[in-house]
Amino acid sequence: MSMRLVALLALVALQACAPLSRVTLLPQEDGRATSVQVQTASGVVDVTQPYQTAALQRDGRLTAQQSSAEEVHAAYGPLLALPVPAAARFTLQFEPGSSVLTAESQSQLGGILAQARARAGGEMVVVGHTDRTGSPQANDTLSLQRAQAVRELLIKQGFAPELVEAVGRGEREPLVPTEANVSEPRNRRAEIIVR
Amino acid sequence: MAGFAVPLRIAMKKTVLLFSSAACALALFSSPLLAQEARSGTFKTVQGGVSVGQGEARRPVQSGGAVAEADQVQTDATGSAVLLLRDGTTIAVGPNTKVDLTRFQFDSTTQQGNLAVRVLQGSIRMVTGLLGKTQPDNVKVTTPASTVSVRGTDFIVEVL
Repeated sequence: MSMRLVALLALVALQACAPLSRVTLLPQEDGRATSVQVQTASGVVDVTQPYQTAALQRDGRLTAQQSSAEEVHAAYGPLLALPVPAAARFTLQFEPGSSVLTAESQSQLGGILAQARARAGGEMVVVGHTDRTGSPQANDTLSLQRAQAVRELLIKQGFAPELVEAVGRGEREPLVPTEANVSEPRNRRAEIIVR
Repeated sequence: MAGFAVPLRIAMKKTVLLFSSAACALALFSSPLLAQEARSGTFKTVQGGVSVGQGEARRPVQSGGAVAEADQVQTDATGSAVLLLRDGTTIAVGPNTKVDLTRFQFDSTTQQGNLAVRVLQGSIRMVTGLLGKTQPDNVKVTTPASTVSVRGTDFIVEVL
């Protein structure tokens, strides 16, 4: 048998051994429990440990296996090297009953824009919030108006409009939880998420 | 009878007026909103050969470029990319990979929606975002012969 044929046979054998697909669970950054479930025509496997894998073999079997950080990094080095940047969050306050930022919050915008511009494909999400005075529907509208007012300011500073999204969360995410119809200035705010 | 007719007509007029002003407001607001909604996510880091599009209509990708529902992202042997969806889900796409954003619906006010990704070839790493937190049952990754249901946040799916 020629060397070339041996090599070819080895390659064919190797490919026959390689699974059709493989799912690998990675550890969660905060160390909390994590899991995924993999389902095929032949069965279901719960992958519950970091670096555990579920592989769909060519004969149709679905097999679970415990791998290690070293093996996973060896197999997926280039993929794991891709940056998954964490978002940065900033909170802005409004003048009472308006969509006008306080002078202090206004002065933060320059630094926030600089951070967004420094990121590859950097974007901003402006999330408006209200307190619980008024109806939830009215607060959805008001929170979106607050977010849009801030979005306009960012666009006026030359940031690409398609990379700034305005979101109104109404009264769903209070900083300080209150009963309905309680005026709470700390909840009348906008967050800017730079990501 | 006649006593009722007049207030009823006024009430109807008011309803019609209300409807038409609501329709106007909708027409005014829907276009910028739709433009924003069409963007499901944004490309972050992009290296080497990466294209995005549907069917034959493909365009090369740059940082800051958009990805929409039903788009396919394709990388060559030198290519890789990081994609951030509007709900905060991150998808890192390795070399020699073909991945479809089959479905992406996200209401940023209620944080409800759906996400389906199909890996046809190659490897992705997914770090789930708000949808994975609020509605994990609505987040799915499929390969030609398997479905991954998401309970955790960070995992790799590879199709050989």
